[in-house]
Amino acid sequence: MKIDKERIELKKARFPAVISTAIACFLFWLLITGQLVMLLEGEPSWQVLVAGVLVSTGVALFSAKFFIHSNPFYIWHPKRLAAGLFYCICVFPWELIKANWDMARRAFSPKLPINPGIVKIPVELESDYGLMALANSITLTPGTITMEVTEQDGRNYFYVHWIDVTADGEEGTQAICGRMQKWLRRVWK
Amino acid sequence: MRYVIDALIVISLFFALAGVVGMLRMPDTFSRMQSATNITTLGVLGVIVGAILYTVFVLHNYEMTVKLAIIGVFYIVTNPISGHALAKGAYKHGVRPEKEMEVNRYEEDLGE
Repeated sequence: MKIDKERIELKKARFPAVISTAIACFLFWLLITGQLVMLLEGEPSWQVLVAGVLVSTGVALFSAKFFIHSNPFYIWHPKRLAAGLFYCICVFPWELIKANWDMARRAFSPKLPINPGIVKIPVELESDYGLMALANSITLTPGTITMEVTEQDGRNYFYVHWIDVTADGEEGTQAICGRMQKWLRRVWK
Repeated sequence: MRYVIDALIVISLFFALAGVVGMLRMPDTFSRMQSATNITTLGVLGVIVGAILYTVFVLHNYEMTVKLAIIGVFYIVTNPISGHALAKGAYKHGVRPEKEMEVNRYEEDLGE
């Protein structure tokens, strides 16, 4: 329950945090205005680019303090970025397809082979972003829904509603999110 | 390429059907939510990926591609949050399955 009560301090955003947020905002601006394609073709519209820099800096000034609390350039490390992309493109969709197929099989089978229960699984991630990514991944895979995150004795635990309980504790972690956790640990602590 | 796109959309329709069938057949609230996740993941993402391929290879309209990708990303980021909130809210409100659960660590720890 410690995480619920812990208040995140909203300090004034420092300069590196603003820069980091502004880069992310600017990339998003490039995507949404369609400038990325034009940039690759070599004929970007400079007016739109300059406006993007101004707007993203302005947004970052106000919003950086909500996103970044410790190391501002943590996510821009190439290794972490590559691991994150690989996770989003290969690891997670594969888990998603497997779980979807499993769930569809259960729904259509005449005997309805389900065995639901709520298990408590320990996770090795510590940072807020890491926990959020793992909890959301678990909820997105059909068959498992994260219900709550708690901390006990310096370890984080998830309560997970699982449609087919076969293990609990450590083995449950391996069965539910072993591979996802392994890859997310390369991105976040 | 048209065949791949059509196949993706048919696959996502199949998973949407599976989700609906599961939702009608499952015995309790939480299991139904599990089945509904079928629709909200592959049921929607299959259509979005199919549409992305369609805009790239048939329409050659890349702005649409980017916008579809953004829809997909926001979908993935926001969808599970409602999942957590619904499951936890239902449980706290006193919704319990008719059949006894295999294990229920949540109840054990809430009682302490």
